[in-house]
Amino acid sequence: MDKKKLALSAMAVLATVSLAACSSKNSSSSENGTTASLKLSPTFNNKKATNASATKNSTLKLAEPNDSPFQGISDQVLSTNQEDADVFAPGGGGSLFNVDKNYKIIDGGLANQRINRKAKTVTITLQKDAKWSNGSKVTAKDIEYPYEVIANKNTTSQQYSADFNTIKGMAAYHTGKAKTISGITFPDGEKGRTAVIHLTKVTPAMKYSGNSFIWGTVEPYEYIKNVPIAKLASSKQVRKNPIFTGAYKLDKVVEGESTTWSPNKYYYGKTPQIKHISINVVSSNNIDKAIQSGKYDFTVPGSVLHGTDYKELKNVKNYKITGQPALAYDYFGFNVGHYDTKTQKNVMDKNSKMANKNLRQAMMYALNLDAVNKKFGNGITWRANTLIPPIFSKYYDSSSKGYPLNIKKADKLLTDAGYKKRNGSKWRSDPSGKKLTIYFGAMTGTSAQAAEYQDYLQQWHKVGLNVQFTGGKTMEMNSFYSTLQKPKQSSIDVYAAAWGVSSEPTPTQLYGEDATYNMGHFVSKKNTQLMNEMNSDKAWNDTYRTKAFKQWQKYMNEQAAVAPGSFSYNWVPVNTRVKGFDMGPANNSFWSNLSLTSSSLK
Amino acid sequence: MWKTILRRFLIMIPEVIILSILVFLLAKAMPGDPFTGSINPKADPAQIKHLMRINGLYDPWYQQYWNWVVHLFHGNLGNSYQYQEPVTRLIAGRAGNTLWLALFTMILTYAFALPMGVYAGRHEGKLPDTIIRVYTYVTYCIPFFVILVLGIWIFGYVFGWFPTTGSISSDASSWLSTIGSRFYHILLPGLLGALFGTVNIVQYLRSEVIDAKHSDYVRTARSKGVPNKDIYRHHIFRNSLLPIAAFAGYSITGLLNGSIFTETVFSYPGMGLLFVNSISYRDYTVITALVLIYGILNLIGTLLSDIILSIVDPRIRIQ
Repeated sequence: MDKKKLALSAMAVLATVSLAACSSKNSSSSENGTTASLKLSPTFNNKKATNASATKNSTLKLAEPNDSPFQGISDQVLSTNQEDADVFAPGGGGSLFNVDKNYKIIDGGLANQRINRKAKTVTITLQKDAKWSNGSKVTAKDIEYPYEVIANKNTTSQQYSADFNTIKGMAAYHTGKAKTISGITFPDGEKGRTAVIHLTKVTPAMKYSGNSFIWGTVEPYEYIKNVPIAKLASSKQVRKNPIFTGAYKLDKVVEGESTTWSPNKYYYGKTPQIKHISINVVSSNNIDKAIQSGKYDFTVPGSVLHGTDYKELKNVKNYKITGQPALAYDYFGFNVGHYDTKTQKNVMDKNSKMANKNLRQAMMYALNLDAVNKKFGNGITWRANTLIPPIFSKYYDSSSKGYPLNIKKADKLLTDAGYKKRNGSKWRSDPSGKKLTIYFGAMTGTSAQAAEYQDYLQQWHKVGLNVQFTGGKTMEMNSFYSTLQKPKQSSIDVYAAAWGVSSEPTPTQLYGEDATYNMGHFVSKKNTQLMNEMNSDKAWNDTYRTKAFKQWQKYMNEQAAVAPGSFSYNWVPVNTRVKGFDMGPANNSFWSNLSLTSSSLK
Repeated sequence: MWKTILRRFLIMIPEVIILSILVFLLAKAMPGDPFTGSINPKADPAQIKHLMRINGLYDPWYQQYWNWVVHLFHGNLGNSYQYQEPVTRLIAGRAGNTLWLALFTMILTYAFALPMGVYAGRHEGKLPDTIIRVYTYVTYCIPFFVILVLGIWIFGYVFGWFPTTGSISSDASSWLSTIGSRFYHILLPGLLGALFGTVNIVQYLRSEVIDAKHSDYVRTARSKGVPNKDIYRHHIFRNSLLPIAAFAGYSITGLLNGSIFTETVFSYPGMGLLFVNSISYRDYTVITALVLIYGILNLIGTLLSDIILSIVDPRIRIQ
């Protein structure tokens, strides 16, 4: 169900992995630590039979754990946060394509996609009976309109990226030089079923949902055409009475609090079965109590539940815990260069403090990430071994070792590279004999995170590295990112952060030579080449593309300029009255497949 | 007195201007900007820059301030960056919720605290007084968010007597059920807020009553043979209300502040949470609008307190 662009903000991801202090009773021993010790399945295989009358007459109650009211923008193009996507999820988010378990686009969704490599076009053809929840037809213009909203000069959308410039005429429209996007055509008219996107190049990434070239949702053009694009996000068509293409239609939205849904009789796909769905925002302070007292059927998949919640909820009667690895990872970044604003490229500085590969590797080997995750993760986080999360089962390099604790190796690496303790100092100095102080940037979070950061510092002190917090303490999120995003900075040498990734994992926008988000500024010919391989002509062959991803992971691991921190589960407690629950990406009819085995919550 | 009030109003104008400049400067001095929180692999930094530019966030502060003032006089407080809707609409939506909850809590608080304070003062040193004093101090000692979490757990989840999230149930549609549902939703937080927020009023009132009991005019009234009941009603109670009346003006300004704790625990969309969120998201337009509103309310509250005092106490006259 994560077909749409899943753009978690850096903050939301941080929240996912924030954990509160508590001792773990995890009995299983995962000494190798490269895989999760806890095995969760994305499906709840309920053996009980569906109760038809209960299903027809009851309300499925969902909770969205969040500490603030949701913002209420139902439109994927304009929304910037996960909460909005969650509370409007039963409407389908205007998703165009069905996907398989690797997020590869397959036929059978609202529309099918064909890529023509020779003509460099992507043709999107709608289902015959594709309709909006108000009964009007989904048209070819609805496929095109998101591009207009995204690229409009006055848009409030944050989605425009340089990749869209590969669509012909898109750049001209974006700058306001053209009134329409010339590269999107309608062979059977705007009211027809087909839109053709003409590009300057086609890439293998386009085969996957969540890529940054082909937008994956529709906009109800007829319904919103009279609203100026700049005002769309605040319009009632988007906030109060939005229409959808998915299994359920919106009955009512209470601003910031709740949404209620009933079956969309115009839905093209499998008929939805449950009479009503309600979604309420529940404070994360009492989400555990709410589940324990059986108030909700499940939390919206995609919403944030913490490790401490898992400890509270794993054994609750009448609930089954389901989960899959999250589209996110924690990582350690090392500052090895700067961003040249003139050429708009990242540049490695050979003489920077962290330029020495041995130093970086040693710092990673010094950390005891297995123990930290075991203690604070309660099983739902574990040490990451690579920079592609395991949800991408095909690309994820399970053989990678990552950086398990190895103090001896760390010491040796440092000594070999000339980082020695000189003149009886307890700290190592750099190879030229100068004093070495390394500054660690970390974001202020929960008490558990603070404990983790302290542990990192202690571990680094153990190998004789004088590592201190930047500014003597953890940093508030905004100052942390403002510092890192400066073209050149020397106050943070190593930092801990997290990324939420799209369902198409090409990492160029994070680690590319011209990527502004490449905040450690690690650049090498090899890295650029390996990333280009992922979307080269040869990469149309899936096996080749998989190999390219694995090679890149190996290289990044060895360089340790950006090193894996931890992975986590995206998990959901499901009440045992629910049948048909499967949060895996390949379950394209998530909402229609749900039914109930009883009229009241267990 | 009208002259004084007018003068106070005129002085408020430069005060508000200075306040707005300060708020504007301080908000901009915070690290980060409204878009820092939304960095993610798919948000192109170029587009973020473009949005910053069209929102005028790269302009010098005085220019931004000027634009803001010009818009202000057109009744436009700008758009929230986080919520992507007009600030006025955003605040209006939240202010209603906060106002109802705060008003209800305030009425309940006074309803509980006034009788308790008078009763405790009247029976000073006796068992009821001790019970009331212990009660107020115990409630004062327990952190409020603990009460809220406990309250919602026991009465909301275990017994299921009260709703646990939001300000209104999603299936309330008619006029009557809307009002009913709203009231039902503020009942538990209001009750908890009132039951655990009595300490100030009770203690002030109690000590005032005790003071008044021993004052000359009460002794005179007693010796004249005025019944005890009337002494309390007419002589003691009225005089003891003075400090409480002085507070009243301020508590009116408090009506719109909202409680971050209550709003978080009950997932109740109100002003307190909005304010905190807008700071962490660097939602400048919302921050400045809210601080300005709070500032103006505070100035008005001070004025109100003075006016109430002069009405209640004939000895005080504003010159």
